[in-house]
Amino acid sequence: MMASPTLLVPLDGSPKATAALPVARGLADLMGATVALIYVGREALPPGELLDRMRLSAEDVRGLVVDQCGGSPADAIVRAASARHAILIVMCAPARPPGPSYPFGSVPGDVLRTAPCPVVLVPSIRGRHPWALRQLVLPHDGTPTSAAAIAPTAELASRAGADLVVLHVATPGAERPAEPGSFVAPRYVDQPQHEWPGWEREFLERVRGAGHPANIEKIRLVLAQGEASAAILEFTRRNGSDLIALAWRGSLEPERARTMRRVIRDASCPVIVFRVRA
Amino acid sequence: MGVCLPLAPSSDPGWLLVEEGFTLAREHEIESIFAVANGYIGTRASLEEGSRLSQPGTFAAGIYVDDRAPEFGPALAVLPDWPHLQIAVDGDRLSMESGPLLEHRRMLDLRQGVLWREWRQQDPSGRITRVRFLRLASLADQHVLLQSVVVTVENYSGRIEFVAGLALPDAQRERVALTVTRDSETVVVLAREASVAMATGSALQPKSEAAISRQERATEHVGEHWTWEAGLGETARLDRVVAAYTSRDVADPADTARAHVAIMLERGVSALTRAHVEAWSRRWNAAGVQIVGDDEAQRALRFAVYHLAAAANPAHEQASIGARGLTGQAYRGHVFWDTEIYVLPFYLFTDPPAARALLMYRYHTLGAARRKANAHGYQGALYAWESADTGEEATPRAVVALDGRVVPILTGEQEHHISADVAYAVWQYWRATGDDDFMVDAGSDILVETARFWASRARMEADGHAHIRAVIGPDEYHDTVDDNAYTNNMARWNLDRAADAVAILERVRLSDWKRMSARLALAEDEPAAWRRIAAALVTGFHPDTRLFEQFEGYFALEDVDVISHRSCAMPIDVCLGPERTRHSKAIKQADVVALCALLWDEWPRAVHEANFNYYEPRTAHGSSLSPALHALVAARLGDGALAQTYLRQAGEIDLADNMGNAAGGVHIAALGGLWQAVVFGVAGLRLREDGICLDPHLLPGWTEMRFCVQWRGRVLRLTLAADSARIDVEVDGSGELTVAVVDGPACRGRPGRRYAVSREGLAWGAWREADA
Repeated sequence: MMASPTLLVPLDGSPKATAALPVARGLADLMGATVALIYVGREALPPGELLDRMRLSAEDVRGLVVDQCGGSPADAIVRAASARHAILIVMCAPARPPGPSYPFGSVPGDVLRTAPCPVVLVPSIRGRHPWALRQLVLPHDGTPTSAAAIAPTAELASRAGADLVVLHVATPGAERPAEPGSFVAPRYVDQPQHEWPGWEREFLERVRGAGHPANIEKIRLVLAQGEASAAILEFTRRNGSDLIALAWRGSLEPERARTMRRVIRDASCPVIVFRVRA
Repeated sequence: MGVCLPLAPSSDPGWLLVEEGFTLAREHEIESIFAVANGYIGTRASLEEGSRLSQPGTFAAGIYVDDRAPEFGPALAVLPDWPHLQIAVDGDRLSMESGPLLEHRRMLDLRQGVLWREWRQQDPSGRITRVRFLRLASLADQHVLLQSVVVTVENYSGRIEFVAGLALPDAQRERVALTVTRDSETVVVLAREASVAMATGSALQPKSEAAISRQERATEHVGEHWTWEAGLGETARLDRVVAAYTSRDVADPADTARAHVAIMLERGVSALTRAHVEAWSRRWNAAGVQIVGDDEAQRALRFAVYHLAAAANPAHEQASIGARGLTGQAYRGHVFWDTEIYVLPFYLFTDPPAARALLMYRYHTLGAARRKANAHGYQGALYAWESADTGEEATPRAVVALDGRVVPILTGEQEHHISADVAYAVWQYWRATGDDDFMVDAGSDILVETARFWASRARMEADGHAHIRAVIGPDEYHDTVDDNAYTNNMARWNLDRAADAVAILERVRLSDWKRMSARLALAEDEPAAWRRIAAALVTGFHPDTRLFEQFEGYFALEDVDVISHRSCAMPIDVCLGPERTRHSKAIKQADVVALCALLWDEWPRAVHEANFNYYEPRTAHGSSLSPALHALVAARLGDGALAQTYLRQAGEIDLADNMGNAAGGVHIAALGGLWQAVVFGVAGLRLREDGICLDPHLLPGWTEMRFCVQWRGRVLRLTLAADSARIDVEVDGSGELTVAVVDGPACRGRPGRRYAVSREGLAWGAWREADA
C-alpha cells in the first residue's frame, strides 16, 4: 500500500495558529495527502491535554495525525517535515511586528529558510473559516528563475479546477532583469492592437512551456503596474483570491525579498512560498 | 573523403550570430532572429525535432488566411513545417531532453544566409550521436529551400532512422481554416487569394555500400522515412530539397513544385548551395556597410542588412513587407507605413528593383485605397493603415488591454499620413532611379490619387487657410488632433510633387502623359488646384521660435518628465494612463523629428536643430521605429554621442538578450531605420537632381565607414575616413553623376574612376581624381 503524502501543520498552542488547519485540510484534499499536526512545546503532554493545549477538539482532528515534539520550534518543525518527507508545511503567518527583518526573524522565517519543502503561510485573521481553492495568483516577474514556480502552481490549480492568474507587475523605475530568457512587459508597443495580444500569448506560452501544459486549463495573464507588493495585495484583495504563490530565490539580505516580506505580512489569503534555485 | 555538409560556415566570426547551448525560454526569440528567408519565403529557426516551446513557421510573402476571429484581419499563412525532422537511434528518438546534452549551438551565418546547427547528444543508453544541420532559403532561386543533415554515430553501431516531412503545426490547425491535400510528396495549402504547394525530395548518402536506404510514406507527415544501418563511427548525410510555388506564379503549383524538386536534385545540392552563396555574395557587395572602430555597430548593421535583404523580392509585385518580414506571425504580416518610410529606402539604394516591387504593391492596391477614401467621403486614394494582400483596411477596431479595459483603436480611421508616405516613396524612387516608365505606368497614378485625396481632405476655412482636422500623426499617443505638422507638411509636399510630376511627364513623355492623363481623367486645372491647397495648408511653423507645433494646441499641454520615464518598465502611456498622456506633451515616437528627417532640404539646419532640441526630450520612444530616426537626425546635427546612444538602442531592439522583443519576429522597420541612421545620418547621404551629396559625421570611435549605393544605374563605392576627414568614391556603371559634399565642393564622377576629397581645416578642399 502506497503511503499518502504528508502536509505538516505546526501548532504552538495559540488560537491564531489554528487558522492553518482549514487551509491544510483543503490542500490535503487536493493532493490526496494526510495532515499531520505537530505541537511544539516544552514538555510532552498526554493526548487529552495535547488537544486542549492546541485549542482543538476531537472533531477538529478527526482523520488527522497528531504528534508533538520539543526543542527549538523552527528546528523541530523542519526536522519533523524532513522525517515525514512532508510535501508542504502549512503554518500561521507571524503577527505583524515592526522591523525590516520580518518575517525572517520569526519562527516562520526560520522555517522558510531551512524547510525541505514549500511553506504555506496563513494569515491569522482568517480564523477557522473553511477554505477552498478557486483562484490562485502567481506573481511572475518574467524571469526563468521565477518560472520554476509555475509547474507546482499549475499542478495545484489543475487539481482544484481553479483559475490560475499569472500576475505580472511592471514597476516604474525598476531595472529590467538581466537573466537570459526573461520576458517582461514590452518596452516598445508599436501598435497596441497587435502588441498586447501578442505579448499576452507569448507570456502564457512561456508559462505553459515551463509548467505542464496539459494541466493548465484556466489560465490568464493580468498586467498591473506599480510597486510589486502593493499591486499583488491590491489584486488579490479586490478579486478575493484564495492563494498567492511566490517564487523565492532564498536571498536574505535586508534589501532583498522585499516583495515577499510585504505580501506575507499583509496578504488576506494564504501565501505558498516555493524556494527556487537561480 | 568523409561525408560532410555541402558548405562550411563563414570563417570570420564577425559574420556569425551564435547561440551557445540551449535556453528553452529564449526559443521564440532565437527562432525569429536566426530565421532564413529570401523575400519569397521565410522559415523560423525552430529546432528540427521540436521542443515544448517551439513555434515553427514558414511564410510566403503575400499569402494570407482569414482568421477565425475576423475582427483582427487576415493573418500571414503558416505553411507546413518543412524542416521538421526526427532522428531515432535504435527506435529511441534523439532529444535534448533525453540524456546529457554534450554540445549544442546554432549559428546564423549572415554572410552566406545559412542557419547552422551543431548538436552532440548522449542518450540514456550512453550512445553519442553527433548531428550537424544546414538550412537555407535560396537567394538564387526563390522557390527553393534546402535542409542538409549529417549524422555521425560516435561510439556505437545501430539503426538510424530519419523521419522527415511537411508537418502542419498543431497550433495552426486550431487557429486558421486551411484545406490541406496530401499525396506522397506534396502538400497544397489553400489560403485567401492563392494556393501554395510545397514538394519535397531527398537523397541519402551512406558512407558504406552496405547501408540500406528505404523510402516509404510516413503515417503522420507527408514525407519520407529513411533507415540507415550505421557502423561504428560512420557518417551519413541526408539532403532534403523543398520547392514552393503559389498559384500566383503558375497555374499548377503542385506539378511545378514537384518538377522543380526533381531538377534541383538532378543538378545536385552542391550546385544549389554554390548558387545561393554567390547570390548572397553579390547582395553583400551591393548592400554591405563596413564600420571600422565599433564592433557593436558593425554587428547590428550586418544583422539589419541580412534581414532586410532576406525580406524583399524584386519579382513579386503582389506582396509588400509586413512588420516582421517573413520571420514571425506577430502583427499578422500586416503592412504599415513602416515599409515606405523605414524599409524601402534601403532597397532604393541597394536593390532598386525590390523598391519598385514594393511600390507596385501600392499601385496594385490603389483600388482598395480609392474605396476607402470614397467610404469616408473623400476623393482619390486613402491607403489602409494596415493592409494585407488586397489593400483593404485590416486594422482592428479595438483591443482588450491586459487590465481588462476595451481600448478603441482609432488608427485605421484617423492615421491618414500613410497616403503621403506612399507618395513620398514614389517620388524618392523616381529621383533615385530615373525610372520614367514606372512613373508613367504606375507612379503617377499613386501621386495623382493621393494628391486628390489631400485636396479633398483639407478644408479651406474662414481664416483663409486649409486645415486637416481629426487625424493621428506618427505620435499615436494623441488622437483626433487638428493640423498635425507631419500630416499637413507631408500632404503639402504630396500635392506639390504630384503637380510637379504631371508637369515633368507632360514635358518629357508627352504621348505617355496623354494616355496617363486620360486614364486618370485628369482635369486641366487639377494640378494648379493642388498647388493652391498646398500653399494654403497650415504648416504649424512658428518663425519666431523656428518650431513646428506638433498639432494645434500642443504647446499648451502639460509638460511631463519624459526622460525619467524612459527607464520605466512600461511605455509611458501605461505609466501615466492614456488620458493624462493625451493631455501632456509626451510623444510616442518621432513625429516632427520624422518630418525634419524626411524633408531635410525644405528648411535650414537651424530649424531642424530647434525642433530636435525641443522634441527629443519629450519623446518617450514607445515605438521601435523611434530610436533609429533620432540617431539619424542627431548624426546630421553633429551630436555624435547622442546619435551613438540612439543607434545602440535601435540595434538592441532584436539583439538584446533579455527582452524577448523578437519573439514574434524581427522588427524589420527598426532595422531599416538603423541602416538609414548610418547611411543618411552618419554618412549624411542625400539625393540631388544630378547625383548625390554627402555630409559625413562619423561617430565617436569610428575610424572608417565603407558602403555602396546605386543611383540611376551608377554604382558608387564610398569610403569615409574619420582621421583624415576624407571621402573616397569609386564610380561604376554607365553615365556620369555629381558627387558633392553638403555646403562644399562637387565633382562630376565618371564610371571607372575614383575620386577623393579631404578636409582642409574647417572647409573641404577640392575633389581630385585618385588612383583606382
